[in-house]
Amino acid sequence: MGADTDVGSGSTRTGEFREEASRPEGDRDLPLSERITRNPGPAATWAAVVAVLIAAEFGAIVSGLLSVPPWGWVGGLVPGVVEPVAALLATVAERGAELPTITSRSVIDNTGYQTPSGWEGTTLGLSPAVAWALRVAVIYTYSFTWLLVGWWGYTLYRRHYRIPDWTPRDDVVNRFRRHSWGLFGLTIVFAFVVMALFAPVLGPTTVDQNIENPYENRIDYYNDETGQVESIFVGEANGDTQSRGQGDNNVGPLEYDQYDRFHPFGTLPDGKDLFTFMASGARVSLLVGLTSLGIAGGFAMVFAMLTAYYKGLVDLGVVIAGDSIQAMPQLLFIILASFVLSDTWIAEVYNGGLVLAILFGITGWPALWRAVRGPALQVSEREWIDAAKSYGQRPRVTMQKHMLPYVVGYFLIYASLSLGGVIIGIAGLSFLGLGIEAPVPEWGRAVSAGQPYVATQSWHISLIPGILVVIIVTGFNALGDGVRDAIDPESDIGDGGNENVAAGGGA
Amino acid sequence: MGRWEYFLKRVLLMVPIVFLGTTVTFLILRVGPIDPAAAIIGPSGDTEAYAAIRDSLGLDQPLWIQYAEFMRDLLTLQLGESWVVVRGQSVWELVGVYGPRTLWLGFWSILIPIFVGLPLGFYAGLNPNTLADYIASFGGIVWRAMPNFWLAVIFVSVLTQSDALFGFSWGDWLVETQIVTPPDLSGLWEPTQFLGALKAILPAALVLGSASMGNEMRIGRTAVLETKNANYVEMAKAKGVPGRLVVWKHMFRNALIPLVPVITGEAFLLLGGSVLVETVFAINGLGYLFFQATINGDVPLVGSLMFLFILLSVGINILQDFLYTVIDPRVGYDGGA
Amino acid sequence: MSRHARDDNVPLNADATSSRDLALEVENLRTVFHTEHEQIHAVDGISFNIRRGETVGLVGESGSGKSVTARSILGLIESPGEIDPASAIRFEGDNITEYTESEYESIRGDGIAMVFQDPLSTLNPVYTVGNQIKEALSLHQDLRGTAATERAIELLEEVGIPDAARRVTEYPHQFSGGMRQRAVIAMALACAPEVLICDEPTTALDVTIQAQIIDLLMDIQAERDLSILFITHDMGVIAEVADRVNVMYAGEIVESAPVEPLFAEPKHPYTRGLLRSIPSTQTSGDRLETIKGEVPTPNEPASSCRFAPRCPKSFEECSEVAPIPTAVGDDPDHDAACLLYPESMTTDEAVAHHRPADDGGEQ
Repeated sequence: MGADTDVGSGSTRTGEFREEASRPEGDRDLPLSERITRNPGPAATWAAVVAVLIAAEFGAIVSGLLSVPPWGWVGGLVPGVVEPVAALLATVAERGAELPTITSRSVIDNTGYQTPSGWEGTTLGLSPAVAWALRVAVIYTYSFTWLLVGWWGYTLYRRHYRIPDWTPRDDVVNRFRRHSWGLFGLTIVFAFVVMALFAPVLGPTTVDQNIENPYENRIDYYNDETGQVESIFVGEANGDTQSRGQGDNNVGPLEYDQYDRFHPFGTLPDGKDLFTFMASGARVSLLVGLTSLGIAGGFAMVFAMLTAYYKGLVDLGVVIAGDSIQAMPQLLFIILASFVLSDTWIAEVYNGGLVLAILFGITGWPALWRAVRGPALQVSEREWIDAAKSYGQRPRVTMQKHMLPYVVGYFLIYASLSLGGVIIGIAGLSFLGLGIEAPVPEWGRAVSAGQPYVATQSWHISLIPGILVVIIVTGFNALGDGVRDAIDPESDIGDGGNENVAAGGGA
Repeated sequence: MGRWEYFLKRVLLMVPIVFLGTTVTFLILRVGPIDPAAAIIGPSGDTEAYAAIRDSLGLDQPLWIQYAEFMRDLLTLQLGESWVVVRGQSVWELVGVYGPRTLWLGFWSILIPIFVGLPLGFYAGLNPNTLADYIASFGGIVWRAMPNFWLAVIFVSVLTQSDALFGFSWGDWLVETQIVTPPDLSGLWEPTQFLGALKAILPAALVLGSASMGNEMRIGRTAVLETKNANYVEMAKAKGVPGRLVVWKHMFRNALIPLVPVITGEAFLLLGGSVLVETVFAINGLGYLFFQATINGDVPLVGSLMFLFILLSVGINILQDFLYTVIDPRVGYDGGA
Repeated sequence: MSRHARDDNVPLNADATSSRDLALEVENLRTVFHTEHEQIHAVDGISFNIRRGETVGLVGESGSGKSVTARSILGLIESPGEIDPASAIRFEGDNITEYTESEYESIRGDGIAMVFQDPLSTLNPVYTVGNQIKEALSLHQDLRGTAATERAIELLEEVGIPDAARRVTEYPHQFSGGMRQRAVIAMALACAPEVLICDEPTTALDVTIQAQIIDLLMDIQAERDLSILFITHDMGVIAEVADRVNVMYAGEIVESAPVEPLFAEPKHPYTRGLLRSIPSTQTSGDRLETIKGEVPTPNEPASSCRFAPRCPKSFEECSEVAPIPTAVGDDPDHDAACLLYPESMTTDEAVAHHRPADDGGEQ
């Protein structure tokens, strides 16, 4: 679609940012820090805005960064020295999580109960649905503000601090800005990433309270019969809010259950909240997907550089290695390998997420390598490579400085296309009961749980996760298309043999 | 280098690939932490029986001997017996039972996209930027993004309850068939049997071919758009070739070239994807058998099946190169296609 | 399509005898491309003709509209391009711009054939050269099977391809550049056309091969009494092949003349510039001149001289009045569209001569 219509726009050197603002000639040879010191105004304004944004979420950022490594496992590796440090960092992460942020659950609280006189427990006495919607709106507004501030920072840099007033990359950026299909993809992908990042505060309840430890948490509710506020285990409450198709056993999308809990996507067959499950599942999918891409991308780029630089036997060797891996059907290979590894320590990291990421990485690199091999070969034929070789530049430096930057763009295209495939693959495995261990939320498990109820009033359990996958995979594809057309408007790469990158092993 | 020389070279390249792939399979099965003897004996086995089984399986021999025997057996196509799933059954017999279902499924899930996706894509490419083009293109993009297992779940539910939902019973339509069952492949030469087997596999084939259909449509469209503007098409018009012949002779054959790897690549993807679709539709095919063998720790069955899959995908690769060589005369010229 | 409008517009030199000698007549041809932002008048009201057995050159820089002219004649303009309905291209007495696609198919090839610039991409890579020649033979000569193969071999021999019997079964990528262009010419000859349009047929070739192809074309013309429209940017080639020359600039013909007066006495400043930029026409010692700047994209109807911004002789009125072709020099066939002419008038009179009589008046 956009892919074909936008080709004509070509390269215009008259981008919107060509005006010569305060860019004195004398600054040409100074490093960036010096250039900022000379003209601190724009940078300072920008930094102030960024500081405000960070301050608004300080606690969450600290705890978010520090809680990524699996401290318990790291501490266990080297008892003694590392253990206390790990424990300390884990505590800091926990404390950080308690600092108030504008997106905290406690700032806009959507848990409460309805008494005859109105809502109790929620922020400002709003209904839980409104309170939840408000928090979601705040989270997305906050995130999109970051996006805008990032873009603003880039334009400031371009206008005030960058030495050349035009670089070829400006054309790429301008082409992408006009690529509505790519922008649509970017929006979807960004919304998905935000969902993953803010998963703990995005749901109407938390994974810990609602999904993993329902019998350790209690909620208050107003009992109509006794006229009293009573307390009940979440687990017990869940038992009464199941979605199982027939009769009263259904809490559909945008409905309240009998304990006045609001369920934006309805409940699962075991009465747990589907939205909370989905948000947390997004986090797992994205994390595993990105890690596997990191692994596959690392292999692919290194091999692409080596094969393009040395060609001949090295190329043949990588071809054979890659073809051998691809000769084994990806999904079957992963099923086999993850089963074989299921009782080892590595399977416990991130509830099996690390194994999945590694397996998708190992089986995914040949496709990525094939995708960037062409561009890498092309650049290796350029005169500047010969020039670098001729004055004795070391191979590693030649590859890194002269070849890699050219190939990175193509890598991004395929990374975007294949991330959707990996997300489908992970969901497919958890649909089979493999991969991410229950009860950690994974989308495929929701599809599996809802399977018996698709044609009943509890249709939402299977349908909503599936539709979300379709939207997100389409988003990643659109983003990939947009980046491709921006980088290389004339090319037709991605329409050839590598289309299958995006298919996730056929899941 | 001639075309067929190039083709021969490609075929020779497949030898190390089969070898390497099989070796990786061996490493995973025998060097990994999986214990086949424990799987056979089950959780309550006593140590003596366990040791006896290890001994009889040759698991205590040096690894390189195990490897040599593993490779020798597979390369001479002695696929051995299942240890756990159907104990004592030879793998060849199991493949004989489960294989045809997967082949039947795979056949239709390649054929349906070719006959639906390609024409739609070509049509869209011949009429670009029309409403029909937009609908087809967007539909293709969305259809392609649907996870197979999810689509399968939806299909099964909707079809099993089609009577209640639409007042139309899919199961009773034309020939009576079950929806969640292996297709009956006996007596395919009889029209009703054939129709029944086709109808039984149709939903699963549509699901499994969904991504291919979207891909082929998209790539078919781009390929036609590209060849449409090629100089040789203008030349053909300039020498008075009628419009229809220009399309069929000068555009479609050239547009097919980029589609070859797409179609064969998808044939290969079907192997992996068949696990999920076969599970949902309860088509007891090879994917399902592999899955069962894996989660039951049936080492020889898993190994032999993986070897067959490797052979299959290498075969598909060779087919792809063959088709390339036939369709594109430039293959092998100036360093290849 | 307005047949009436055309009938009002009686041809300029409606001389009955001469029009029977004309193989092709192009009159007031306008081809417009509609893009999102603007309309590009790629060919903007040009008129010229080709007599039987004659070679007419169409010369100009890239982007001047030469190739669009060729494609307009063959009816190969596709959306977003469009030929203005008031244009006329007369071939064998018919205005072919009014033809339907299927009527066009009947004259493409056996009426008017074309040789394109890049011989590699004009041959379909997946069919043998013989196959593609035989396709033309079966369409236009009704030859099939072995008869067609034999004829194809004859044609290949005729265009100077050695070992034609073997070559006929080979694919385009197995041919060298010059051989490919010979094969394309053979394909055009297989159609047995009356008019052959050669669109930069030698541009993609080495210099030595260029000369061979030009010789070949001239031989074929002499043998078959072909009428050729020869399109090129190369004045040297034009001098060699053409009987009459039309110089094109930004969609318009700025000067047309028989080849000798054109080279001896170029009238339009643009033509002079072009000639001065050919190495061989320079007396030794002079610096080779260039015309500064690029051909502008004609994105609106002409309201001035489009060459004025690059013209060394431009004066104020050049940016206000669009010049019309005006007889210059002694030869009645020599026209130039420049406000400097007719030379017999003063500048003011000349400008008045070119200025449109009223808003709607074309000529």
